Amino acid sequence: MSKTITIDPVTRVEGHGRVTIHLDDEGNVDETYFHIVEFRGFERFIQGHPYWQAPNLVQRLCGICPVSHHLAAAKAIDQIVGIDPKDLSTGATKLRRLLHYAQIFQSHALHFFYLASPDLLFGVDAPPEKRNVVGVAVENRELAVKGITMRKFGQELIKALAGKKIHGTLAVPGGVYKSLKAEERDTFLNGKEFPDIDTMIKWSQEMVDFMKDYHTKNRVFLDTFAAFPSGHLGTVRTDGALELYDGKLRAIDSEGNITLPDVEPDDYLEYFSEAVAKWSYMKFPYLKSVGRKKGWNRVGPLARMNICDYISTPLAEKARREYFEFTGSSVNNSTMYSHWARLIETLHCAELMKELLLDPDILDENDLVREGNERNVGIGIIEAPRGTLTHHYEVDDKGMIVRCNLIVSTTHNNDAMNEAVKWVANNVISREKTITEGMLNQVEVAIRAYDPCLSCATQAMGKMPLKAELYDHEGTLIGEKTKN
Amino acid sequence: MRTLLIGIGNGSRGDDALGWLFLNDIEGKDPGRFDLEYRYQLQVEDADIISKYERVLFVDATEELIPKGYALKKCEPARSYYFSSHLQSPEAVLYLCETLYRKTPEAYVLPIKGYRWELGEPLSDKASNHLQRALDLFRSSELYKQAQIKEIETEELF
Repeated sequence: MSKTITIDPVTRVEGHGRVTIHLDDEGNVDETYFHIVEFRGFERFIQGHPYWQAPNLVQRLCGICPVSHHLAAAKAIDQIVGIDPKDLSTGATKLRRLLHYAQIFQSHALHFFYLASPDLLFGVDAPPEKRNVVGVAVENRELAVKGITMRKFGQELIKALAGKKIHGTLAVPGGVYKSLKAEERDTFLNGKEFPDIDTMIKWSQEMVDFMKDYHTKNRVFLDTFAAFPSGHLGTVRTDGALELYDGKLRAIDSEGNITLPDVEPDDYLEYFSEAVAKWSYMKFPYLKSVGRKKGWNRVGPLARMNICDYISTPLAEKARREYFEFTGSSVNNSTMYSHWARLIETLHCAELMKELLLDPDILDENDLVREGNERNVGIGIIEAPRGTLTHHYEVDDKGMIVRCNLIVSTTHNNDAMNEAVKWVANNVISREKTITEGMLNQVEVAIRAYDPCLSCATQAMGKMPLKAELYDHEGTLIGEKTKN
Repeated sequence: MRTLLIGIGNGSRGDDALGWLFLNDIEGKDPGRFDLEYRYQLQVEDADIISKYERVLFVDATEELIPKGYALKKCEPARSYYFSSHLQSPEAVLYLCETLYRKTPEAYVLPIKGYRWELGEPLSDKASNHLQRALDLFRSSELYKQAQIKEIETEELF
């Protein structure tokens, strides 16, 4: 008797998605799908707006990583006014970078503490009422307070730079709106209102150590769970260092062979294409040179660790070396190592924030905006918390947007998340007579590791409880399981 | 008593603006009497913010039927969790505050009945009526009377 298992929606991710697992007559997995059932309209409704509105309009598509969209759009709009990244003033670049690192820091903190840690602390079979941030607060108060405080630090820095924690404004075409004042900067250095940047570095280091210890104790599960070969994509500096704000695109295959050799972001259309599927609103980007079947890449922390040659800040670089010494390979294809990689990036961002907070250039009120010769096309690519993010705009001669293409990180990870679901279906659910809460949660655990933002990839519509349904081969509902 | 008012909602979605409009009215007529926070949704980290206060009032629009269309009720900590990281109840935030920060501010909720929620819609007449009455109720309450009035620097008066 064939069955369909539906998980709707996937919980503890940003946005709403659905998973269906189709079993054949003997209970083997036939097909699996991670459906993104939200509808997105930003690429269309931004058309007709003046280009300078883009950085503020598009950030509305997300409440978790609006800064990433703000900055990716700003980088593209810079080009519309004739300014390439190298033409931006030093102060403007550093202020944007500081905003970007604060964004990644707070977003990574949110994901680890609020979304992922319940699975890690309580295990995949823990009851749902325990497996959430409230459960973490009860069981591990210190960890929860640190998580909230780290997110707060990033959010407060974003507010100081952009005026608001969510949907603020710092970037304007060709530069930034304002610099930081010394007293604003000092808030993050003196620890009077909240723990200072040195504490953020210390806590980030502690979290990396925690994760290393966790991997040591749970190695078999973490090495094998939802592990599969794939390509990896991200950006690097010209010297191969991890680069989160403005670098060259690099991709490797599952064994570390270069598939995209440090190309200019502006040329992305030469190298990437996007496929569509009738069961999802999300597109499927892939490298043209490799082809649709094997040309998709994972993006985000796991991919970034894999593609870079080193990390520029000392503590994060030390952590990166330990990470690869532990794995024993230069490329890691294990989904669950995303969490460890994410924490190394959190530490890296904390170190970068300290560097910039101590840099007098961020206080300079001069030369904040530059002008150039206007163009009709702008492409901005940035490493958002969840991975490579592309904003591409075309404008007419009056400066009105006539075309917009957004390839968000979660879109790149679309194939990877489907692969992860398939792994769990094949290895955990296949041939099982009863579907347990823990089995369903393992599907979610695999997806959550990618920290997907389905709102970014589409646009939220409605809300539903998590539901698994079993249908026989005639489509008759023969069992269901629901959790709220 | 140091009191925080948290208005929950979305000013662009019809009657969902009730929480924000409540705060706007208070700030317009009683500037400085309360600290104000505007929220689309309550989040986990709001536990940190309310831990700094002795008293907190959550004002939110509701679809639920309330006899008068508004109500002022005590808010008790409750261990609950909505599956999304960015949508928590006042009771859950209060519970987190108690659990994480060992502080339990005196807390109240003030739901106001709304009727339409679409993007771009104005406030409905019924909801506007409920809002005004809810404000009257609040201003006659001990919460209002006991709220700390901030000291104003002399130069700000001139």
